[in-house]
Amino acid sequence: MTLERREVSNIIVNQLAESEISLVASLPDDWVADLIKVVEIDDRFIHVPVNREESAVGLCSGTYFSKTYSAAVMGASGMLTCIYAITKINYTYEIPMFFLVSMRGAIGDTAKYQISNGIYFLDVLDTIGFPYKVIESREQLVEIPRVHRHSRVYSRPSAVILSREVLNGET
Amino acid sequence: MTMNLHDTFAYMVSRWTDELVVTSAGHSSGTWWDLTHDRDKVFYLTASMSLSSMFASGIAVGNPGVNVWAMSGDGAFVMNPGMLFVERKMNLPNLTHFMVSNRCYGSTEEVDIAFSEHADYATLARGAGIDRVYSFNSLEEFKDQFDEAVIAEGHTFIVLNVERVGKEVRTASMDGPEVKFRFGRYVEERTGQTIFNVLP
Repeated sequence: MTLERREVSNIIVNQLAESEISLVASLPDDWVADLIKVVEIDDRFIHVPVNREESAVGLCSGTYFSKTYSAAVMGASGMLTCIYAITKINYTYEIPMFFLVSMRGAIGDTAKYQISNGIYFLDVLDTIGFPYKVIESREQLVEIPRVHRHSRVYSRPSAVILSREVLNGET
Repeated sequence: MTMNLHDTFAYMVSRWTDELVVTSAGHSSGTWWDLTHDRDKVFYLTASMSLSSMFASGIAVGNPGVNVWAMSGDGAFVMNPGMLFVERKMNLPNLTHFMVSNRCYGSTEEVDIAFSEHADYATLARGAGIDRVYSFNSLEEFKDQFDEAVIAEGHTFIVLNVERVGKEVRTASMDGPEVKFRFGRYVEERTGQTIFNVLP
């Protein structure tokens, strides 16, 4: 963990709190690992580590039927495993949900095993009409509450997708 | 020995007071609908491929004063038994997970579950660290222990070993948004929370 990375993690959790989010479900991707550690020790959140990303879809969709706003934190590859759960639960029943996702497989990712996911990730989201905002600089992190709110207006899920550079505190 | 699903659910319905119910695909959804025709306290979550107990956990964590019954079938369960670890981690005192085991895929013409003859679902749940685990093979036994297993507080995992139904059982004829609004309006009325048309 670098100081820059922790600084960004702190900004993100403050934006989640600003969004009135109080439950975070997560499955680690190494780019969001520090963010998950920060959520875990922050008393403003109930942190629920899940066994697989689809479980986060089930859990966060259920919280809709309460005053608990929630977020699911994962990598792009994990989100790709959720497509059926999203279309089945969130689209069929029109249930909002908010994702915070690392943009794995994009230019700059040195992990070859992530590339095949990155090639199609945004295209898959576009294909299912899934609204998202790619965030590539620290200044854009203030968009998190707006994207979260949009899922409630749209009655379907939305996502903030975070670049490697922003998560590393480089931009 | 196994139980008759209709009779088992009929008994549960007779003891059902104000618990919210989340059904799973297949016979649990259709049979609960057939017995209750309830459109308000039940969320008919069809074909979620194992996510009914996670969905119910989300409802339960956000509504700590309300008991939630989650139904799943063993067809769904074997897709995602890791759900038990998450349930244990959350350990919600207001969540009861009924796993209806008929050893087949009830919603797809009762094709056999290939792994079921060797599977012990209750042992899996205990292995995940869940303390309150029950498995019932007879309706009398289920009735005798209902208060301890279901009414007593605490996160609970219950295996109901039932016979195959042998026919198609249709679930509620509602589109998704109707299920959402009927259920959500009931939760709003019950808890005093506003769910719809509020923005953070």
